[in-house]
Amino acid sequence: MFLALKEIRHEKLRYGLIVGMVVLVSYLVFVLSGLAYGLAQQNTQAITSWNARSITLNDDANESLSQSLLTTKTTKALTLSKHEAYIGQTGVVAKEKGRAKLSAQFVGVDRNQFIYDRVAVTSGHKPKRANQILVDDSFRDNGYHLGDRVQLNSTSSRYRIVGFTHNAKLSVAPVIYGTLGTWRTLSHVTADFKASGVVSNSATFKPKTAGLATLSMSKFINKLPGYSAQNTTFTFMIAFLMVIAMVVIAVFLYILTMQKLPNYAVLRAQGIPARVLVSTTISQALILVVSGLVIGAALTAATVLALPAGVPMSFNMPLLSGVTGGILLTGVIGALIPVRIILHVDPVSVIGG
Amino acid sequence: MPALILSHVTKTFGHDTNEVTVLKDVNFEAAAGEVSLVIGPSGSGKSTFLTIAGGIQTPTAGEVQVQSANLHQLNSKDRDALRLNKIGFILQAYNLVPYLTVQDQFTLVDRVKPQGNLSPAALRELLMQLGIERLTHQFPGELSGGQTQRVAIAWALYQNPDIILADEPTAALDSDRVKVVGRLLHDLAKQHHKAIVVVTHDLRLKEFADKTYAIMDGQMTLA
Repeated sequence: MFLALKEIRHEKLRYGLIVGMVVLVSYLVFVLSGLAYGLAQQNTQAITSWNARSITLNDDANESLSQSLLTTKTTKALTLSKHEAYIGQTGVVAKEKGRAKLSAQFVGVDRNQFIYDRVAVTSGHKPKRANQILVDDSFRDNGYHLGDRVQLNSTSSRYRIVGFTHNAKLSVAPVIYGTLGTWRTLSHVTADFKASGVVSNSATFKPKTAGLATLSMSKFINKLPGYSAQNTTFTFMIAFLMVIAMVVIAVFLYILTMQKLPNYAVLRAQGIPARVLVSTTISQALILVVSGLVIGAALTAATVLALPAGVPMSFNMPLLSGVTGGILLTGVIGALIPVRIILHVDPVSVIGG
Repeated sequence: MPALILSHVTKTFGHDTNEVTVLKDVNFEAAAGEVSLVIGPSGSGKSTFLTIAGGIQTPTAGEVQVQSANLHQLNSKDRDALRLNKIGFILQAYNLVPYLTVQDQFTLVDRVKPQGNLSPAALRELLMQLGIERLTHQFPGELSGGQTQRVAIAWALYQNPDIILADEPTAALDSDRVKVVGRLLHDLAKQHHKAIVVVTHDLRLKEFADKTYAIMDGQMTLA
């Protein structure tokens, strides 16, 4: 550590450039991870807030909630407990005079079932009548207020915003909560249809009714349109970035080590053990990478503050720890590559003939 | 018992038609309390001799004994420990780390070998003897060639080794400084019972030597 710190202090420009490179790599990885997680969350926020374990859909809906319709006849065969709830989902466009049009997901729920209780209200109250709706906070960010009377699609009815809820997004669109009756109106279906699906937070709810399929929430989330493709794309981008970072860091450390070989040869001639030189190289890499990560994290935090609210950036500690650990590991691997050269440095090379 | 013994040491590089024998059946002894000078022209095998004596290179044939330890029988780790604790090298290339101040060069030794080094008072006296006591906060790159060489000498001596192997220690020094270094090596041998081996082509050091060897085309003779 002594040699590592002294060298860094003496060669400020050289090591500053390496730290700068680690800062850029870590900044890019952090921002991409934040965007990937943020986007993934915007696909599933509403579903996550329900805290459900499974969902039952029409067998022909190809595991898609928006394609599923459960008839009243079918649902009569189901025995629902307090752990199950009907939901009706359909895509809508919300508009109000003087406000921006917003594409949204309408979710109809039953007031007497658990999802209605799970939805958290940040201001106002939950809808109690058919013409009342509870909307995601992003409506407020777009100029909507409590009491606004919103037109949904081309229906003649108007729906009053009676409350706002936080982090309620589904397939990257803000959610509008209302009644199942409103859902039927917006979906242009008759009373013969009860809902789009049944969500349950019980492990035992597995209906055997013909024409229905029950799937776990994790499977359902993975089947959301574009969700897996987005996640896979981001995962590959981050993975490639990590590999490239490792190669770049390794090349830098290799060049640095090669430049230091005459010094190391002198130290080896004096009997300084190879382990001292190896630990110097590794601790130097750790100092550089940790410094780069700290600065990269600070830059990312500053970026989050500067970004507009609409940018889907979000962080979670396990993901962030994994990414940070990954960069740290790549730095150590990069530092370990020249260790073989250090172990075989020839002290004779610095003694003339 | 001599501190350093080389018996029938031969060193050959290359193979077949490219084979070059740099040292031929060299016999050498350096006792504690003696300064041994090995004089020879450039390319005569002086540095090869020094690296073999210090356990950095192994001979093709023959044996090297350092304070009764046969270097051939020691593993690489033990040879490192022997070099660190018993042998001080003063190298032609100036054995200084470029990013450490003069003071930090000594701190590095303390960190690797916490015991057996010179006391702060003895170090101060050594630096004053060499005329470099005011340079402790300088980096090697800020020193002249002569100053660098004297710091390199101080660094090797700081470890308080029993054997000092010096490779052209006066190459960059004027005559006055040569006398200072020569006297210092002589005093170290006599007062502190060090075995000092100097390979050089600087004949000005001859007056400080107890024994002088000549090396020519790999063959060593007592002059």
